[in-house]
Amino acid sequence: MSNDWLPEAPLIINFALTNKCNFKCKHCYSRNDPDDELDTAGARLCVESLKEAGVLSLNFGGGEPLLRKDLLEIAALAAGLGMTVSMNSNGFRLDRETARTLKTAGFSKVGISLDSPQAEVHDGFRGVPGSFERASNALGYLNEADIGTSISSVICRINYREIEGLIGLARKTKAGQLNFHNFKCTGLGYANKSELDLTPEEWKEFYKAALEARKNTHDLNISLDDPIISSLGESRAGSLVKGSVCGKLSLNIKTNGDITPCGFIPLVIGNILKDDLHQLWASSPVLERLRNKKPTGKCASCSNYEDCLGGCTARALALTGDINSPDPHCWK
Amino acid sequence: MKIFRNPDVMWREETEHKQQALKALADGGEAEEIGASILFLNGTMLTLNLLGTEIWSRCDAIDPDRLVADLSEIFDVDTETLKADVMDFLGELQEKGFIRYEQ
Ligand code: SF4
Repeated sequence: MSNDWLPEAPLIINFALTNKCNFKCKHCYSRNDPDDELDTAGARLCVESLKEAGVLSLNFGGGEPLLRKDLLEIAALAAGLGMTVSMNSNGFRLDRETARTLKTAGFSKVGISLDSPQAEVHDGFRGVPGSFERASNALGYLNEADIGTSISSVICRINYREIEGLIGLARKTKAGQLNFHNFKCTGLGYANKSELDLTPEEWKEFYKAALEARKNTHDLNISLDDPIISSLGESRAGSLVKGSVCGKLSLNIKTNGDITPCGFIPLVIGNILKDDLHQLWASSPVLERLRNKKPTGKCASCSNYEDCLGGCTARALALTGDINSPDPHCWK
Repeated sequence: MKIFRNPDVMWREETEHKQQALKALADGGEAEEIGASILFLNGTMLTLNLLGTEIWSRCDAIDPDRLVADLSEIFDVDTETLKADVMDFLGELQEKGFIRYEQ
Protein backbone atom coordinates (compact mmCIF):
# COMPACT_ATOMS: atom_id res chain seq x y z
CA MET A 1 0.00 0.00 0.00
CA SER A 2 1.15 3.54 -0.59
CA ASN A 3 2.64 5.44 2.35
CA ASP A 4 0.40 8.45 2.07
CA TRP A 5 -2.66 6.29 2.68
CA LEU A 6 -4.88 7.85 5.29
CA PRO A 7 -7.77 6.03 6.94
CA GLU A 8 -11.19 7.65 6.62
CA ALA A 9 -11.46 8.03 10.38
CA PRO A 10 -9.05 7.58 13.28
CA LEU A 11 -8.42 3.97 14.22
CA ILE A 12 -7.30 4.56 17.77
CA ILE A 13 -8.45 7.10 20.33
CA ASN A 14 -6.70 7.87 23.55
CA PHE A 15 -9.34 9.22 25.93
CA ALA A 16 -8.18 11.00 29.08
CA LEU A 17 -11.07 10.32 31.44
CA THR A 18 -9.62 12.31 34.30
CA ASN A 19 -6.61 14.45 35.14
CA LYS A 20 -6.77 13.34 38.77
CA CYS A 21 -4.02 11.07 39.92
CA ASN A 22 -2.83 9.40 43.10
CA PHE A 23 0.80 9.71 41.93
CA LYS A 24 3.24 12.61 41.63
CA CYS A 25 5.26 11.65 38.56
CA LYS A 26 8.08 13.96 37.58
CA HIS A 27 7.23 13.86 33.88
CA CYS A 28 3.42 14.13 34.12
CA TYR A 29 1.75 16.04 31.27
CA SER A 30 -1.77 16.15 32.72
CA ARG A 31 -1.56 16.99 36.43
CA ASN A 32 -1.51 20.72 35.84
CA ASP A 33 -4.20 20.63 33.15
CA PRO A 34 -7.10 22.73 34.52
CA ASP A 35 -9.76 21.36 32.14
CA ASP A 36 -13.10 20.08 33.44
CA GLU A 37 -14.10 16.45 33.18
CA LEU A 38 -17.02 15.15 31.15
CA ASP A 39 -19.67 13.64 33.40
CA THR A 40 -20.87 10.09 32.83
CA ALA A 41 -23.52 11.12 30.31
CA GLY A 42 -20.94 13.17 28.39
CA ALA A 43 -18.40 10.35 28.41
CA ARG A 44 -21.04 7.93 27.15
CA LEU A 45 -21.96 10.31 24.34
CA CYS A 46 -18.29 10.61 23.49
CA VAL A 47 -17.96 6.81 23.19
CA GLU A 48 -21.08 6.63 21.02
CA SER A 49 -19.71 9.33 18.69
CA LEU A 50 -16.45 7.45 18.38
CA LYS A 51 -18.26 4.29 17.41
CA GLU A 52 -20.32 6.16 14.87
CA ALA A 53 -17.16 7.59 13.31
CA GLY A 54 -15.74 4.06 12.93
CA VAL A 55 -13.06 4.09 15.65
CA LEU A 56 -11.78 0.58 16.31
CA SER A 57 -9.82 0.92 19.49
CA LEU A 58 -10.30 3.04 22.61
CA ASN A 59 -7.56 3.47 25.18
CA PHE A 60 -8.29 5.19 28.47
CA GLY A 61 -5.59 7.37 29.95
CA GLY A 62 -5.31 10.44 32.06
CA GLY A 63 -4.60 10.93 34.97
CA GLU A 64 -5.33 7.59 36.55
CA PRO A 65 -8.43 6.10 34.88
CA LEU A 66 -9.17 3.90 37.91
CA LEU A 67 -10.02 7.05 39.87
CA ARG A 68 -13.12 7.50 37.67
CA LYS A 69 -16.00 5.77 39.45
CA ASP A 70 -17.81 5.21 36.15
CA LEU A 71 -14.80 3.71 34.32
CA LEU A 72 -16.36 0.25 34.13
CA GLU A 73 -19.66 1.61 32.82
CA ILE A 74 -17.95 3.64 30.09
CA ALA A 75 -15.62 0.78 29.17
CA ALA A 76 -18.49 -1.70 29.02
CA LEU A 77 -20.37 0.61 26.69
CA ALA A 78 -17.36 0.85 24.34
CA ALA A 79 -16.73 -2.91 24.42
CA GLY A 80 -20.43 -3.58 23.86
CA LEU A 81 -20.30 -1.36 20.77
CA GLY A 82 -17.50 -3.54 19.43
CA MET A 83 -14.42 -1.45 20.19
CA THR A 84 -11.21 -2.87 21.61
CA VAL A 85 -10.87 -1.38 25.08
CA SER A 86 -7.60 -0.83 26.89
CA MET A 87 -6.10 1.55 29.44
CA ASN A 88 -2.86 2.85 30.90
CA SER A 89 -2.71 2.71 34.68
CA ASN A 90 -0.14 3.13 37.41
CA GLY A 91 -1.50 -0.11 38.87
CA PHE A 92 -1.64 1.16 42.45
CA ARG A 93 -5.36 0.52 42.88
CA LEU A 94 -5.48 -2.56 40.72
CA ASP A 95 -6.06 -5.55 42.98
CA ARG A 96 -7.32 -9.04 42.13
CA GLU A 97 -11.00 -8.07 42.37
CA THR A 98 -10.50 -4.95 40.22
CA ALA A 99 -8.77 -7.06 37.56
CA ARG A 100 -11.79 -9.36 37.46
CA THR A 101 -14.21 -6.47 37.10
CA LEU A 102 -12.08 -4.96 34.31
CA LYS A 103 -12.29 -8.28 32.47
CA THR A 104 -16.07 -8.36 32.88
CA ALA A 105 -16.32 -4.78 31.60
CA GLY A 106 -14.54 -5.86 28.41
CA PHE A 107 -10.96 -4.66 28.82
CA SER A 108 -8.70 -6.62 26.50
CA LYS A 109 -5.43 -4.98 27.51
CA VAL A 110 -4.01 -2.90 30.34
CA GLY A 111 -0.63 -1.18 30.27
CA ILE A 112 1.08 -0.68 33.62
CA SER A 113 3.70 2.02 34.16
CA LEU A 114 6.98 0.63 35.44
CA ASP A 115 10.08 2.69 34.82
CA SER A 116 12.84 0.79 36.53
CA PRO A 117 13.64 -2.76 37.62
CA GLN A 118 14.74 -1.22 40.93
CA ALA A 119 11.82 -0.58 43.27
CA GLU A 120 13.34 2.49 44.93
CA VAL A 121 14.14 4.16 41.58
CA HIS A 122 10.60 3.59 40.27
CA ASP A 123 9.03 4.75 43.55
CA GLY A 124 11.19 7.90 43.56
CA PHE A 125 10.27 8.74 39.96
CA ARG A 126 6.55 8.16 40.54
CA GLY A 127 6.60 9.89 43.92
CA VAL A 128 4.79 7.15 45.89
CA PRO A 129 6.50 4.57 48.11
CA GLY A 130 5.36 1.01 47.42
CA SER A 131 4.25 1.80 43.87
CA PHE A 132 6.72 -0.65 42.30
CA GLU A 133 5.37 -3.55 44.28
CA ARG A 134 1.74 -2.61 43.67
CA ALA A 135 2.37 -2.20 39.92
CA SER A 136 4.18 -5.56 39.72
CA ASN A 137 1.34 -7.27 41.60
CA ALA A 138 -1.21 -5.61 39.30
CA LEU A 139 0.41 -7.31 36.31
CA GLY A 140 -0.03 -10.67 38.06
CA TYR A 141 -3.72 -10.00 38.78
CA LEU A 142 -4.32 -8.93 35.19
CA ASN A 143 -2.67 -12.10 33.92
CA GLU A 144 -4.85 -14.18 36.25
CA ALA A 145 -7.92 -12.39 34.92
CA ASP A 146 -6.80 -13.17 31.35
CA ILE A 147 -6.35 -9.54 30.34
CA GLY A 148 -3.45 -8.75 28.00
CA THR A 149 -0.68 -6.80 29.71
CA SER A 150 2.15 -4.49 28.84
CA ILE A 151 4.74 -2.54 30.76
CA SER A 152 5.13 1.10 29.77
CA SER A 153 8.48 2.65 30.62
CA VAL A 154 9.14 6.32 30.03
CA ILE A 155 12.76 6.41 28.98
CA CYS A 156 14.75 9.19 30.62
CA ARG A 157 17.87 9.72 32.71
CA ILE A 158 16.83 7.27 35.45
CA ASN A 159 16.57 4.22 33.19
CA TYR A 160 18.17 4.65 29.77
CA ARG A 161 20.92 2.20 30.67
CA GLU A 162 18.50 -0.31 32.22
CA ILE A 163 17.27 -2.00 29.06
CA GLU A 164 18.22 -5.52 30.13
CA GLY A 165 16.83 -4.91 33.61
CA LEU A 166 13.49 -3.76 32.17
CA ILE A 167 13.37 -6.79 29.87
CA GLY A 168 14.05 -8.99 32.91
CA LEU A 169 11.26 -7.24 34.81
CA ALA A 170 8.82 -7.82 31.93
CA ARG A 171 9.74 -11.51 31.90
CA LYS A 172 9.41 -11.82 35.66
CA THR A 173 5.98 -10.17 35.71
CA LYS A 174 4.93 -12.07 32.56
CA ALA A 175 3.99 -8.86 30.76
CA GLY A 176 2.99 -9.51 27.16
CA GLN A 177 4.77 -6.44 25.81
CA LEU A 178 7.38 -3.90 26.84
CA ASN A 179 6.87 -0.35 25.55
CA PHE A 180 9.77 2.05 25.60
CA HIS A 181 8.12 5.47 25.42
CA ASN A 182 10.25 8.39 24.42
CA PHE A 183 10.39 11.22 26.91
CA LYS A 184 8.22 14.23 25.98
CA CYS A 185 8.86 17.74 27.24
CA THR A 186 5.21 18.54 27.94
CA GLY A 187 3.69 19.59 31.28
CA LEU A 188 6.02 18.63 34.14
CA GLY A 189 8.21 16.89 31.56
CA TYR A 190 9.07 20.39 30.33
CA ALA A 191 9.66 21.78 33.82
CA ASN A 192 11.90 18.82 34.73
CA LYS A 193 13.58 18.54 31.35
CA SER A 194 17.11 19.35 32.51
CA GLU A 195 16.90 16.67 35.20
CA LEU A 196 15.28 13.95 33.08
CA ASP A 197 15.90 14.40 29.38
CA LEU A 198 18.94 12.92 27.61
CA THR A 199 21.30 14.56 25.19
CA PRO A 200 20.92 13.58 21.51
CA GLU A 201 24.05 11.40 21.81
CA GLU A 202 22.58 9.62 24.81
CA TRP A 203 19.34 9.01 22.89
CA LYS A 204 21.40 7.51 20.10
CA GLU A 205 23.17 5.24 22.59
CA PHE A 206 19.83 4.18 24.09
CA TYR A 207 18.16 3.44 20.77
CA LYS A 208 21.11 1.50 19.40
CA ALA A 209 21.11 -0.70 22.50
CA ALA A 210 17.30 -1.01 22.53
CA LEU A 211 17.17 -2.06 18.86
CA GLU A 212 19.91 -4.62 19.48
CA ALA A 213 18.03 -5.95 22.52
CA ARG A 214 14.83 -6.16 20.50
CA LYS A 215 16.61 -8.11 17.79
CA ASN A 216 17.92 -10.59 20.33
CA THR A 217 14.73 -10.96 22.35
CA HIS A 218 12.37 -13.59 21.02
CA ASP A 219 10.07 -14.24 23.96
CA LEU A 220 8.83 -10.68 24.44
CA ASN A 221 7.39 -8.03 22.18
CA ILE A 222 9.41 -4.82 22.57
CA SER A 223 7.88 -1.68 21.14
CA LEU A 224 9.75 1.55 20.32
CA ASP A 225 7.45 4.36 19.22
CA ASP A 226 10.00 6.95 18.13
CA PRO A 227 10.26 7.91 14.43
CA ILE A 228 13.90 9.00 14.78
CA ILE A 229 15.02 5.37 15.01
CA SER A 230 14.71 5.28 11.23
CA SER A 231 18.06 7.08 11.12
CA LEU A 232 19.65 3.98 12.68
CA GLY A 233 18.65 1.93 9.65
CA GLU A 234 15.42 0.76 11.26
CA SER A 235 12.94 0.46 8.39
CA ARG A 236 9.74 0.67 10.52
CA ALA A 237 8.28 -1.50 7.78
CA GLY A 238 5.46 -2.68 10.05
CA SER A 239 4.25 0.87 10.53
CA LEU A 240 1.37 2.01 8.35
CA VAL A 241 2.50 5.61 8.25
CA LYS A 242 5.77 7.51 8.20
CA GLY A 243 6.86 9.78 11.04
CA SER A 244 4.55 10.25 14.03
CA VAL A 245 1.21 8.41 14.02
CA CYS A 246 -0.61 11.32 15.72
CA GLY A 247 -3.32 12.74 13.51
CA LYS A 248 -2.72 9.99 10.91
CA LEU A 249 -3.96 6.90 12.72
CA SER A 250 -4.88 8.22 16.14
CA LEU A 251 -6.23 11.19 18.08
CA ASN A 252 -6.46 12.22 21.71
CA ILE A 253 -9.55 13.32 23.61
CA LYS A 254 -9.01 15.46 26.67
CA THR A 255 -11.06 15.27 29.87
CA ASN A 256 -13.45 17.99 28.65
CA GLY A 257 -13.97 16.40 25.24
CA ASP A 258 -11.52 18.62 23.37
CA ILE A 259 -9.73 16.76 20.60
CA THR A 260 -5.98 17.09 20.04
CA PRO A 261 -3.67 15.18 17.67
CA CYS A 262 -2.02 13.49 20.66
CA GLY A 263 -1.81 13.94 24.41
CA PHE A 264 1.46 15.85 24.06
CA ILE A 265 0.37 18.29 21.35
CA PRO A 266 -1.82 20.98 22.91
CA LEU A 267 -3.48 22.09 19.66
CA VAL A 268 -7.24 21.69 19.99
CA ILE A 269 -8.92 20.80 16.69
CA GLY A 270 -12.50 20.56 18.00
CA ASN A 271 -14.67 18.96 20.66
CA ILE A 272 -16.15 15.48 20.49
CA LEU A 273 -19.53 16.62 21.84
CA LYS A 274 -19.84 19.65 19.58
CA ASP A 275 -18.13 18.72 16.32
CA ASP A 276 -18.39 15.98 13.75
CA LEU A 277 -15.31 13.79 14.17
CA HIS A 278 -15.41 12.56 10.61
CA GLN A 279 -15.40 16.08 9.28
CA LEU A 280 -12.62 17.22 11.62
CA TRP A 281 -10.51 14.26 10.57
CA ALA A 282 -10.97 15.12 6.92
CA SER A 283 -10.62 18.89 7.06
CA SER A 284 -8.85 20.13 10.21
CA PRO A 285 -6.11 22.56 9.16
CA VAL A 286 -3.99 21.44 12.14
CA LEU A 287 -4.16 17.79 11.06
CA GLU A 288 -3.45 18.85 7.51
CA ARG A 289 -0.22 20.50 8.65
CA LEU A 290 0.81 17.49 10.74
CA ARG A 291 0.25 15.17 7.81
CA ASN A 292 2.20 17.36 5.42
CA LYS A 293 5.23 18.48 7.38
CA LYS A 294 7.92 20.41 5.56
CA PRO A 295 11.58 19.66 6.24
CA THR A 296 13.49 22.53 7.78
CA GLY A 297 17.06 22.91 9.09
CA LYS A 298 19.09 19.71 9.03
CA CYS A 299 16.01 17.67 8.01
CA ALA A 300 16.04 19.41 4.62
CA SER A 301 19.17 17.52 3.56
CA CYS A 302 18.65 14.35 5.63
CA SER A 303 18.47 11.06 3.72
CA ASN A 304 16.11 9.64 6.38
CA TYR A 305 13.49 12.35 6.09
CA GLU A 306 11.14 10.21 4.01
CA ASP A 307 10.81 7.72 6.90
CA CYS A 308 11.40 9.96 9.89
CA LEU A 309 9.53 13.09 8.78
CA GLY A 310 11.46 15.17 11.28
CA GLY A 311 10.83 12.82 14.23
CA CYS A 312 8.42 13.44 17.08
CA THR A 313 6.20 16.40 16.24
CA ALA A 314 5.18 16.95 19.88
CA ARG A 315 8.79 17.41 20.94
CA ALA A 316 9.59 19.76 18.06
CA LEU A 317 6.55 21.87 18.88
CA ALA A 318 7.20 21.94 22.65
CA LEU A 319 10.83 23.01 22.35
CA THR A 320 10.87 25.15 19.22
CA GLY A 321 7.26 26.23 18.69
CA ASP A 322 7.35 24.85 15.13
CA ILE A 323 6.05 21.41 14.14
CA ASN A 324 8.43 21.42 11.16
CA SER A 325 11.59 21.85 13.21
CA PRO A 326 13.89 18.84 13.52
CA ASP A 327 13.17 16.70 16.57
CA PRO A 328 15.37 18.09 19.38
CA HIS A 329 16.35 14.49 20.27
CA CYS A 330 17.86 13.92 16.84
CA TRP A 331 21.61 13.22 16.90
CA LYS A 332 22.27 13.69 13.20
CA MET B 1 -10.07 -27.42 6.02
CA LYS B 2 -11.96 -24.17 6.37
CA ILE B 3 -10.71 -20.65 6.94
CA PHE B 4 -11.79 -18.71 10.04
CA ARG B 5 -11.09 -15.10 10.96
CA ASN B 6 -9.40 -14.57 14.30
CA PRO B 7 -12.29 -13.10 16.35
CA ASP B 8 -9.88 -10.67 18.03
CA VAL B 9 -9.19 -8.85 14.77
CA MET B 10 -10.82 -5.42 14.53
CA TRP B 11 -11.53 -4.37 10.98
CA ARG B 12 -13.17 -1.67 9.01
CA GLU B 13 -13.99 -1.21 5.37
CA GLU B 14 -12.92 2.18 4.10
CA THR B 15 -16.03 2.95 2.07
CA GLU B 16 -14.75 5.97 0.18
CA HIS B 17 -11.44 4.32 -0.64
CA LYS B 18 -13.25 1.20 -1.76
CA GLN B 19 -15.46 3.22 -4.10
CA GLN B 20 -12.35 4.91 -5.45
CA ALA B 21 -10.77 1.49 -6.13
CA LEU B 22 -13.92 0.20 -7.85
CA LYS B 23 -14.05 3.30 -10.01
CA ALA B 24 -10.37 2.95 -10.94
CA LEU B 25 -10.99 -0.65 -12.04
CA ALA B 26 -14.13 0.29 -13.95
CA ASP B 27 -12.12 2.96 -15.78
CA GLY B 28 -9.52 0.35 -16.72
CA GLY B 29 -6.95 1.68 -14.21
CA GLU B 30 -4.98 0.18 -11.32
CA ALA B 31 -6.43 -0.25 -7.84
CA GLU B 32 -3.80 -2.45 -6.25
CA GLU B 33 -2.32 0.35 -4.15
CA ILE B 34 -5.61 1.65 -2.77
CA GLY B 35 -6.33 0.53 0.79
CA ALA B 36 -9.98 -0.52 0.80
CA SER B 37 -10.04 -1.86 4.36
CA ILE B 38 -7.93 -2.00 7.45
CA LEU B 39 -7.28 -4.79 9.94
CA PHE B 40 -5.97 -4.30 13.42
CA LEU B 41 -4.72 -6.97 15.82
CA ASN B 42 -2.72 -6.35 19.00
CA GLY B 43 -1.07 -3.25 17.62
CA THR B 44 -0.39 -4.74 14.18
CA MET B 45 -2.26 -3.01 11.38
CA LEU B 46 -2.71 -4.10 7.82
CA THR B 47 -4.32 -2.28 4.92
CA LEU B 48 -5.95 -4.44 2.29
CA ASN B 49 -6.60 -3.58 -1.33
CA LEU B 50 -9.82 -4.51 -3.07
CA LEU B 51 -8.89 -8.15 -3.66
CA GLY B 52 -7.61 -8.47 -0.09
CA THR B 53 -10.83 -6.94 1.23
CA GLU B 54 -13.00 -9.32 -0.79
CA ILE B 55 -10.95 -12.27 0.49
CA TRP B 56 -11.02 -11.10 4.10
CA SER B 57 -14.74 -10.43 4.17
CA ARG B 58 -15.36 -14.02 3.04
CA CYS B 59 -13.02 -15.67 5.57
CA ASP B 60 -15.88 -16.95 7.65
CA ALA B 61 -15.81 -20.75 7.73
CA ILE B 62 -15.11 -20.98 4.01
CA ASP B 63 -13.22 -23.62 2.07
CA PRO B 64 -10.26 -22.15 0.07
CA ASP B 65 -11.51 -23.62 -3.24
CA ARG B 66 -14.95 -22.19 -2.65
CA LEU B 67 -13.34 -18.81 -1.89
CA VAL B 68 -11.39 -18.84 -5.17
CA ALA B 69 -14.54 -19.85 -7.07
CA ASP B 70 -16.49 -16.97 -5.50
CA LEU B 71 -13.76 -14.47 -6.31
CA SER B 72 -13.39 -15.62 -9.90
CA GLU B 73 -16.93 -14.39 -10.42
CA ILE B 74 -15.90 -10.88 -9.41
CA PHE B 75 -12.35 -10.53 -10.71
CA ASP B 76 -11.49 -10.95 -14.35
CA VAL B 77 -8.29 -13.00 -13.80
CA ASP B 78 -7.50 -16.55 -14.88
CA THR B 79 -8.25 -19.05 -12.12
CA GLU B 80 -4.68 -20.32 -11.69
CA THR B 81 -3.28 -16.81 -11.17
CA LEU B 82 -6.14 -15.92 -8.87
CA LYS B 83 -5.67 -19.09 -6.83
CA ALA B 84 -1.92 -18.43 -6.45
CA ASP B 85 -2.57 -14.83 -5.33
CA VAL B 86 -5.29 -15.89 -2.89
CA MET B 87 -3.18 -18.66 -1.35
CA ASP B 88 -0.20 -16.29 -0.96
CA PHE B 89 -2.37 -13.75 0.75
CA LEU B 90 -4.00 -16.33 3.04
CA GLY B 91 -0.53 -17.57 3.99
CA GLU B 92 0.43 -14.05 5.03
CA LEU B 93 -2.77 -13.60 7.04
CA GLN B 94 -2.23 -16.93 8.76
CA GLU B 95 1.39 -16.12 9.59
CA LYS B 96 0.33 -12.83 11.19
CA GLY B 97 -2.41 -14.54 13.20
CA PHE B 98 -5.33 -12.89 11.40
CA ILE B 99 -6.89 -16.19 10.25
CA ARG B 100 -6.69 -19.86 11.13
CA TYR B 101 -7.58 -23.10 9.39
CA GLU B 102 -9.89 -25.61 11.05
CA GLN B 103 -11.74 -28.79 10.10
S1 SF4 C 1 17.64 15.23 10.63
FE1 SF4 C 1 15.39 15.35 10.72
S2 SF4 C 1 14.70 13.74 9.29
FE2 SF4 C 1 16.87 13.34 9.73
S3 SF4 C 1 16.82 11.85 11.41
FE3 SF4 C 1 16.98 13.91 12.32
S4 SF4 C 1 14.85 14.54 12.75
FE4 SF4 C 1 14.77 12.78 11.33
